[in-house]
Order: sequence, then structure tokens, then C-alpha cells
Amino acid sequence: MTEHDDVRDLLAAWAFGALDPSEDKTVRRHLAECETCGTEAESLKRTISLLDGPPSTTAPSAPAPEDGVLSAARRTRRPATPHVAAHATPYAAAVAGLRALLPEAEARWSTPVVHDWDVHATLAHLLAADEPLAARLGIAPRVPPSRTAAPTPPAPWQEAWNRRTAHVIDHEYGRTPQESAADWSAQADELLATDEARDPERAARAAELMGMRLPIADHFLVRAFETWIHTDDIGRALGLSVPPPPEAHLRQLIRLAVRVLGLALGPTAPPVLFEVTGGDRWVLGSDAEPVRAELALEPVDFCLLVGGRYPPDEIPRSASGDEDAVRNVLERAASLSWL
Amino acid sequence: MVVSLESTGNTSVEPSADAELHRRLVYGDESALAEAYRAYGALVKAVAVRVTHSPGAAEDVAQEVFAQLWSRPYAFDADRGTLRTWLSVLAHRRAVDWVRSEARHRKDARADDDALHTIPDAAPGPDEAVVDRERSLLLHSALAELPQPQREVVHLAYFAGRTYRQAAVELGIPEGTAKTRLRTALRTLAESLADPPDPAWGQGA
Repeated sequence: MTEHDDVRDLLAAWAFGALDPSEDKTVRRHLAECETCGTEAESLKRTISLLDGPPSTTAPSAPAPEDGVLSAARRTRRPATPHVAAHATPYAAAVAGLRALLPEAEARWSTPVVHDWDVHATLAHLLAADEPLAARLGIAPRVPPSRTAAPTPPAPWQEAWNRRTAHVIDHEYGRTPQESAADWSAQADELLATDEARDPERAARAAELMGMRLPIADHFLVRAFETWIHTDDIGRALGLSVPPPPEAHLRQLIRLAVRVLGLALGPTAPPVLFEVTGGDRWVLGSDAEPVRAELALEPVDFCLLVGGRYPPDEIPRSASGDEDAVRNVLERAASLSWL
Repeated sequence: MVVSLESTGNTSVEPSADAELHRRLVYGDESALAEAYRAYGALVKAVAVRVTHSPGAAEDVAQEVFAQLWSRPYAFDADRGTLRTWLSVLAHRRAVDWVRSEARHRKDARADDDALHTIPDAAPGPDEAVVDRERSLLLHSALAELPQPQREVVHLAYFAGRTYRQAAVELGIPEGTAKTRLRTALRTLAESLADPPDPAWGQGA
């Protein structure tokens, strides 16, 4: 290419002021000599100066205090995340995360999500799923109790839980999705306003909820886990990718999930050295014999597995040693199907 | 039975800075909003001032833009572009809206004046500044309508002060492509002036 061609090629970028100094010099030198390019450059510059508009008549402003813009932006349409103790911050964040997603569901509430639930029903399920902890902390249910008589003998918790979800979904279908969302949101706020959300000592007391006897603090983590997994479900359904919880929260969720998995495997399972990539390592199973296998999973994959969102044979893993021992861990993790 | 061993240290892949900021915004971390403002507040205001020529309006635009980022974090998708260009494009669109509504008000005010003055003055030619303002608005409307690939390069070059080479790196495209997009974009802008939309079209004539 000749210099003339080169410069013609650069003229638009030059007009936008988007050349580096050496190219800019080349262009200017050529424009002084070449009439064709000069005319074209003038016309391009004219467009840019029209884009710039008439010179400003107002004096340049003193930079406004940052906080003006920021505090006004913060006040907008999004409630502040409440200050709670460390065991409840993952739940507070998960609630904020679902709230952030809900505006994207407007006019798409009947998009299928998981099971036979749409977005509206998934919210209703969360409303029901938060109830056991809410009830334990003295918060009245927002949906009236089901009328059907309690079965005798008492049904296992899963059955009662499924029935309650079905009832709440039915109930919420009689209302608008916005009303359901407001109720879910209000119940979550009530949970986060309890003493147990703010005071680690009060959250240290154990409670048996949904078949798991755990400290209240851990039940808050379970709520965070489930809220995030369903938010992720809704995001997928809407074609939006939901980011994983903040790193520190993710680690809290993983530690709890590993503990529950350890209990489910029992003290005699063939021992497996289990690692969550970039985080902790544990020996799962028997501590009376040497490790049979090693297994490493990505943090989010492990959570999806425990959440019943990943078939155990499809999950990306790095494993070595006894395949049966590895399979045992993966299948047990999936069978927790925590949610 | 679980026996905890030592941590293996952080080996996970570093997520892009935008994706990480987005993650924190989604989960309601207010410090992420402050960080976004520190990084891009000046750019957002600069875009708005260049379009509105009004520092006050630019403040309002910036407020709207960051309120949108905070209240609708999912409107930004880190897979489809950088936060810088997304905020820049949003600020530009809001600023163009502001100028349009301002122009409408001025016109209404003029119409009111005309109605009051039953004996019209010798009609003065349109003020040159008014014409320039209208042309500028036409150009900015056209800029807002550019196809996204061109719009991104224009935003980086014109508003963010990048050279076309820097813009190419930021967008992950060849330098030649960045140059071509600027040329095509500028031609489209110039054509929008030569061929302004006919106001009669809107009236279903």
C-alpha cells in the first residue's frame, strides 16, 4: 500500500481522534500535501464537530460529590441487604440475588423451571421451603395451613414437605406472581430480622428441620443453598446465567454439604480423599483404613451435585484410585438431593 | 466420617473483573456499586456532558445509569461485552433521551410564545445554535442506532478516548476491523444528516 492508501484507511479513526501520535503525525503530513485526502478529512471532521455540538455555554462543573450520585442510585428500588451474623450472610445474599433476578421474570412467570414448576410455582415452593425454619423461629406462616387432616401415623418429613409445597403452590396460583414474590420476600426479611440471624450464640442451638438435626446457624446455610439453587434454576429457564454465590459464602455452603455428606456415608464407607478445587480437602468415609481413591470437583459442580442438579455419572471430575469408592461418594452426594 | 485436611490454596480460574463485579452486584454488595462508580463514573458523566452540554443533566444521567446497574444488574451480561461499553452506551442513550425531551419542551415553549404574540415579528431565520443543536441530536440518535459492533468501537474511540488499536485489544478484534468499523460508522452518521427522517412519515401520510 502507498502512504496515500494508508492514510485514506486511517482518516475515520483520525477524525475520531483515535490514532496514536506517530500515525497522527503521518496523517497530518500527508493531508498538507494531498488535496483529495484533505477534502475528505475536512468533511469527516465536520461530522465529528457536529457530533460535538455547539460549544458549551455553561462553565465546566465542579465535580459533584461522589455520594450524590451513588446514594441516590443506592436508594433506588432495591432494599439494602440487612446486617446479620456470618452464618446468615449467605442467606441474606441469596435473597438479594433472587430479588435481583425477579424483575427479569416479569411477563415470563409461566416459563417452565424444574419439576413441573414454572417461575411462579418455584417462588411458591421457596415460600413453603422457608416455612419450617420460620416456624421454628416463631414466624407465622403466610399461607394458611392445609385443611387436610394430618395422617396417622405421622408421615415422613419428605411427604409432609411435598404436600405443603403442593398446597402453597395451589394457593399462590390464586394470586398474582407479584403478590407471591412480595410474600416470599417479606418472609425472608422476617427470617433475617430474627435474633437467631444476628446472634451466633442463639443460632448455636440445634433444631431438627426437614429430617436434619443441625444448629440453627446451619439451617440458615441450608436456606441460602436452596435459595441459590432455585435462583439458578430460574436463571437457566430465563436464559440468564446466575453467578455463583460470593466465594466466602460458597465455601461455607460447601463445608456444610461435606459434613452432611460425611454423615450420610457413615463411618464404614471406603475412604476417599475429597477435594473441592481451590479449597479444602477432606477424607470421607472410614478413618480406620488407608484412602482408596482421590476425587476432586469444582466448587459449583459439587453444589449442583448435592442439590440434585447434576447426574453423578456426568459431573466433571478428576479422580484416581478405586472407581467403586469414587462412585459411592458421587452417588451418595447426589442422593442427598438436598432440595 | 469427615476428616478435614489442609487447604490446597486457591487454584481456581480467575474470573474476569467485570464478571466478579457483576457477581457482587447481583448478591447485593453495595461496595461493588461504589467500585463501579469509581471506575466508570467519570466516563459516564463525560459521555452525558458531551451529548447534553449540561453538567446538571449529566449528573442526573449518571444517577439513572448507576441506579439501573444497581437495581437491574441482570440487564448487564458479562458474556456480551464489557461493563465499560455497557455503561457508556446506556449513558449515551439516556443523554439522547434527555436532549430530545429538552428539545420538545423548548418547542412547546416557543409554540406558547407564538400563541401569545398575535402580531408575529419579522420571522427571524433559525438561530444557528439551534440548528447545530438539532444536527447534533440527529447524529447522536444515529449513533445510538448503530449496530452494536460499530457502536462499541465508536464509544471506546470517541467517548473513552481510546486509539483504534487500544479499542481493538479491548474488544478482542483485529486492528483492521476496528478501523473499518469506525469508517463505516462515521459514514452512517454523515448519511443521517444528509437524509434526515421525514417528519411526515410518523403521521401515516
